[in-house]
Amino acid sequence: MSERDDAVLVIDGVTKRYGQIVALDSVSMMVPGGSIFGFLGPNGAGKTTLIRIIMGFMKATSGHATMLGHDVWADGVRARERVGYLVTADGLYPDLSGNDQLDYAARISGRAPEWRRRILDALELDEAALRRKLTTYSKGMRQKLALTAAAQHRPELLILDEPTDGLDPLIQRNFEVLLREFRADGTTVFMSSHDLGEVERTCDRVAVIRAGRLITAGWMEDLKRRYQQRVEVVFDEGVPAGLGEVPGVVILRSDDQSVLMSLEHDINPLLAFLARHRVARMEVRPPELQEVFLSFYERDTSGDSVEVPA
Amino acid sequence: MVSAMTRRLLRRGLVGTLLLLAGVMVFQFINPFIAESLGGPEGLESLVNQLPPAMQQLAQMSPDFLAMTGLAGYLSRGYDHPVYFILSISAMVGFAGRAIAGEIDSGTLALVLARPISRLKIYVSRLIALVVLSVGFGIAGPVATWLGLQVAQPVGEVEIDQLAAMAALGMLFVWSIGALALMVSAASSSMGRVVGWATGYLVIAYFVDVFAELWSILEPLRPLSLFDYFDTSTTMVDGRVPTESVVVLGGVGLVAVVVGWLVFRQRDLLV
Repeated sequence: MSERDDAVLVIDGVTKRYGQIVALDSVSMMVPGGSIFGFLGPNGAGKTTLIRIIMGFMKATSGHATMLGHDVWADGVRARERVGYLVTADGLYPDLSGNDQLDYAARISGRAPEWRRRILDALELDEAALRRKLTTYSKGMRQKLALTAAAQHRPELLILDEPTDGLDPLIQRNFEVLLREFRADGTTVFMSSHDLGEVERTCDRVAVIRAGRLITAGWMEDLKRRYQQRVEVVFDEGVPAGLGEVPGVVILRSDDQSVLMSLEHDINPLLAFLARHRVARMEVRPPELQEVFLSFYERDTSGDSVEVPA
Repeated sequence: MVSAMTRRLLRRGLVGTLLLLAGVMVFQFINPFIAESLGGPEGLESLVNQLPPAMQQLAQMSPDFLAMTGLAGYLSRGYDHPVYFILSISAMVGFAGRAIAGEIDSGTLALVLARPISRLKIYVSRLIALVVLSVGFGIAGPVATWLGLQVAQPVGEVEIDQLAAMAALGMLFVWSIGALALMVSAASSSMGRVVGWATGYLVIAYFVDVFAELWSILEPLRPLSLFDYFDTSTTMVDGRVPTESVVVLGGVGLVAVVVGWLVFRQRDLLV
């Protein structure tokens, strides 16, 4: 089975223009079934626009997307049959109680809320709170309710835009555990987040978007390996000349015998260089997601660094 | 699913809608008492006779008119009154604005859009709620008038079919206004914009209709005003809705609903 066959969400050359403004520029990617897929980008990069297109709220100017095998625009109703979507915490009806809100969401989903109790327990939203109207809720409580409404009907694909916004750290951790449990039960999660730590802890795949263009996508570990590893080398006989010219190497700090450098992409040219010298000690540290993420945004937006995933 | 969405729409803002409905009923309930306290059609005729002709024209109530139409004619003026318009139009425009643009504004439309529900069903749920409100506001006034007549017992006769015709005309009138506002709502993402456009048109249309009586230069514009087709005196006195009113008010409402759907089914919804 090819990766495309296995994908629950396929985005194929999606472009969205508002007059002269290009919000999305030929974005293509696939979200494999059974993954937790992180979708990253700064404000205004096009994350929300892409999610709106996936959900059928907006029509792509060109290109198309399919969700669970159905075109998101032409066959949107069937595409959304087994999907859960997180609305903003303010997008709930303020005149309803928490229970009524969840009942209404379940009724219009047409599916039984079989995960409701499990989610409410994990997010620590108790029955007394659920009996109250939303006007009495804090932002965090509304977010918990919105998360429950999104996933209570056991969706096959869960689409979350900033899911932990407003949640306290303890509940955030509970939610991350819950997402992993969902994945174990066969649900695919597609989430955008500003919290890179959360994405790093939770997601196994990630895509990065900037100025409407997808700049990379792939396995989290691959990305971290490929981008800006930190390498510290202690030499027996002083730092050899020519180290700074090795492809991908940027020297960050250096003294007589040791050097700290960042390394992009392939480590092999560096290893070939080091093989010609006596190395006392060497340490390679994979970057944290934050470093990978920032490396994309520090580059020239028109540069050659843009990569399109295979 | 459609019925669940319709009920949700009607329940949201229910208190405000009921207050406006109660306002319409109270206003139409007291009209028979006023007629009775002024001595019925004859007393009203002598009262109106004392008004300057321009005032009579503005009020669309001359002594001749009262002499010909009697109590039914006087009561029909209660449905041409600005208070009645403000109460019923506020309810319809408020609902239509809330139904789509208001829900985009607040983000609540995402809750239904994200479900396996077609845009057609979402639109139909709004349409059904609009019809329910039109029927409610169309009937409320004549029911209150009938109650007032039973209690106040003014001199003069008003038959039930005259009030039924008034209810039908009222339904058509609020339906046409609600449908126009729904059309604007389907194309907009802001409740304020819907209220602004609808109020702007209705205020201009109302003044064109009223001042065309005094200022002939406005006469050619009168057919563009929905108020021109809200012919309460003919309806109430003859006990039938004029064909022109049925065609124009009903037709405008239908065309607005179709145009609203054509816009809503294709547009980007920024929720």
